[in-house]
Amino acid sequence: MTFKQQKMASYWLLIAPGLILFAAVIVFPVFYSFSLSFTKWSGYGKSLFVGLENYRNIFSDPVFLHGLRNNMLIVAISVFGQIPLGFLLAYMLHRKMVRGGEFYQTMIFLPITISPVVVALLWNQIFSSSGIVTALIRNFSGNSQYVMKIFEDKSQAIIPILFVLLWMHTGTYMIIYLANLQKINPSVLEAAQIDGATEGQMFFRIILPSMVGTITTTAIFAIAGSLKAFDLIYAMTGGGPAHFTEVIAIYMYTNTFKYYKYGFGSAVSIIIVLLSVGLILILQSASKKIEKKYE
Amino acid sequence: MRTKRLLLTMFVSLLLFPSLLFSAGTKEPTHITTGDEIIELSVYHFLDQTDKTTAPNFAFLVEEFEKKNPNIKLKFEYGYGESFHDKLQTLAVSGQLPDIVLLYPGKRTSQVTDAGLVQDLRPWIKGHEKEFADMAMQGQGENGEIWELPEDISITAIMYTNNRLLKELGLTLPKTLDELLAQGPVIRENGLIPISMANKDAWPMQSCLAGVLVERTGGMEWFDKAIAGNGAGFDDPEFVAAMEIIKQLSDKHMFSPGTNQLAYGQGLDDFVNERAVYLIDGGWTVNNMIGELTDEQKTYMSLESFPDVPNQKGKSLSTSATAGQGFGMNAKLNKAQSEAAWKWIWFYSGPEGSAIRQKFGRLPAYNLAEPADADPMIKKLIAYAAKVPMGYVLDSVLGAEPIGAFNINLQRLMFGTMTPKQVAEDLEMMVDKIDRGNR
Repeated sequence: MTFKQQKMASYWLLIAPGLILFAAVIVFPVFYSFSLSFTKWSGYGKSLFVGLENYRNIFSDPVFLHGLRNNMLIVAISVFGQIPLGFLLAYMLHRKMVRGGEFYQTMIFLPITISPVVVALLWNQIFSSSGIVTALIRNFSGNSQYVMKIFEDKSQAIIPILFVLLWMHTGTYMIIYLANLQKINPSVLEAAQIDGATEGQMFFRIILPSMVGTITTTAIFAIAGSLKAFDLIYAMTGGGPAHFTEVIAIYMYTNTFKYYKYGFGSAVSIIIVLLSVGLILILQSASKKIEKKYE
Repeated sequence: MRTKRLLLTMFVSLLLFPSLLFSAGTKEPTHITTGDEIIELSVYHFLDQTDKTTAPNFAFLVEEFEKKNPNIKLKFEYGYGESFHDKLQTLAVSGQLPDIVLLYPGKRTSQVTDAGLVQDLRPWIKGHEKEFADMAMQGQGENGEIWELPEDISITAIMYTNNRLLKELGLTLPKTLDELLAQGPVIRENGLIPISMANKDAWPMQSCLAGVLVERTGGMEWFDKAIAGNGAGFDDPEFVAAMEIIKQLSDKHMFSPGTNQLAYGQGLDDFVNERAVYLIDGGWTVNNMIGELTDEQKTYMSLESFPDVPNQKGKSLSTSATAGQGFGMNAKLNKAQSEAAWKWIWFYSGPEGSAIRQKFGRLPAYNLAEPADADPMIKKLIAYAAKVPMGYVLDSVLGAEPIGAFNINLQRLMFGTMTPKQVAEDLEMMVDKIDRGNR
C-alpha cells in the first residue's frame, strides 16, 4: 500500500462511524420517506404506488392550505418579529441603554428554559374560556357568557399563538446577538466615538455589518423551526378549534398517526423539507447580496 | 498485507458498531417457563398514571391478580391519549406487539386486529357468553371474532342533572327539546350554564350527543342501513335533522360559553361546582364524580336521558353505548403463555376484576348483582343502564378518518361555517369512500 493509499484509507476509516450513523438516521429516513410519499400505505401489507396523487390531494385540501398560511405567519413573526426584537434588546443591553441589564437579560431569556407544554398550559390558563382573563372580564362586565371571540375566528385564531411564540423565542435570539455583539472589539467603537460618529452611524456602519452572518444563521434557525412548529401549538390548541390554528406539522401528524396514512404523511413531510430548503436558499442569496454590499 | 487486514477488520467492526448499539435496545425475550416457574408477560395498557382515581384502582387490581397468580409476572407499559395509539401502531408495525394489549371493539384499533396480530378469544370465552351483557359479546371482526374481552359497557350520552338548581330556578326536568330550549334564558339569567359541555378536543359533541340524536331522529333500523350504505345514508333528512338540533342548541347558547375552547374536564368541573344545571357526558364520568361530589350533592344529582326531539323515530330515553375496551392477546403466544395471558384477561374482565371495578364506579360488561355497599352514584348508573334503550356511538361504528373529519365539522357547524346539510353530506362522502370503499 502506497503512502497515498494509506492516507486515503485512514481518512475513510476515521469518517466511517460518523458517515454510517448519518446515513442510518438522516439519509436513509429522508429517502425512504421520499419513496413512501408516492404510495398509499397503512403500515401493514404491501404499499400501493399512487404516483403524485398524495401531493395532488394535499394541495387541494383547504386544511393543508390554511395550515401553510399559518406556518407562513409563524415564519413571518419569527423572521420579522423575534429576530429584530431580539437584536434590539441585545443592542440595548450591550450598549447599556437600560439599568439592571442582567435582570432584563434573565427575564427575557427565561421563557425558553420552560418546556413548551408548560408554556402552553400557562397561556391556556390565562386566555381560555375558563381562564383568568375571561373570568376577570366576566366579573367586571357582568356578562357571565362572555367569550374571547378571537379564538373562534378562522383568520385570527392563530394570533394569540404568534404572540406566545414571540414571547417564548425572542430571548434565544437576544442571547445569540448579545454574545456576538460582545465579540466586536470595543476599541473600534471607541475610535468611532472619538471620531464623532453618532449612535446611528455606529449601528449601521460598524455593528450591523459585522452581525450579518449571525443574523443569517439565526434567520435559518427561525425558518426551519417555524416550518416544523408543533409542540407548543399541539399542546395549546391541538390545531383547533375546527383546524383554525392548524400548522402543517400537525396536519402531517394527524394524517400519519391518527388515520394511518403513511404515504400521505410522508408527502407532507417532504413538502416541509422542500419549503424549508427553498426559503433558506432565498435567504442565503439575499444575505450574500447584503454581505457584498458591506465588503 | 497485514495492514490491509487490520484496516479491513477495523472497518467491519466500525460498520457493525451502530447496529450493535441499536440491537442493544431491543425488547428482552419473554421469560417462557412451565411448571412452578414464573411466566413473564408484557402488557400494554391505556392508563393515565396521574389520574388519582383510575391509576390506584388499576394498581389494586394488579396486586390482587399477582397475589392469586404468583407464577405469572406481568410487566406493564402504559400509554394515554393519542400517544397510546401512536405507540401501539409503532409496536405493531415493528413486530414488537406486547403479549397482552388493550384493544377497542370498534375501529379504533382495527389496524392491529385486522392485521391478524391478535388471537380470536372466542374459544377461550366459550361457555361464558351469557355471563356478559349482549353488547359485549357482539362480533368485533369481519367473521364475528372477539379480539378483546370488553371490561365495561360504555354509555356515552347521559344528561347529568342538578335537581337542586332546577328546583331553585322553578324548573322541572324537560320532556321535550322545546322545553329544554325554553329553560335556557331562565338558567342564563341566573348566571348559570344550561348544558355543560367542553368540546375543545372535538370528540365529546360527537361521542356524547350526536350519536343519541341520530338514533332519535332516525331510529335504529335507519341507523343500521346508513352504516351499511344499504338504502340509507348519512346525507338523509334523518341525519340532517340531528345536526340541526346541535346547531339549534349552539345558536340558542345552551352549551357552555366557548364550548369549543374548553378542555375536556372543564365540563365536569362546572357541573360539580354547580355552575351548570346539566352536564352531557359519558357514564365513565361517574368514576370521577364519586370523588368530586359531596355526599349531599350525590342525593340531588340524577342521571337522565336527553329529552324527546321533534318528529322522533327512535325511542324515548334512549342513549348511545358501546362495549368498552378490554385486553386481547398476541397471536404469537405459545400455549403456556396464552393460558397465562387468558388468566389475566379473565381476571380483569371476568367476575373478580369486574366486581373490583364496579366498586370503583365502572359499569362492567360482566353481569353482576348490584353491590349493597356501592356509592350512590354507581347505584344510579346501574339503574340508568337497566332502564334505557341503547343506540350506537358514531365513533364505534365509523372509521377513524370520517369520524375525525366529522368531529371537526361539528365545531364548524357551531361556528356557522358549515350548514347541517353540508356536515351530513361530507360525512356520507367520507364514509362511502373510506369505510364502504365505494369511491
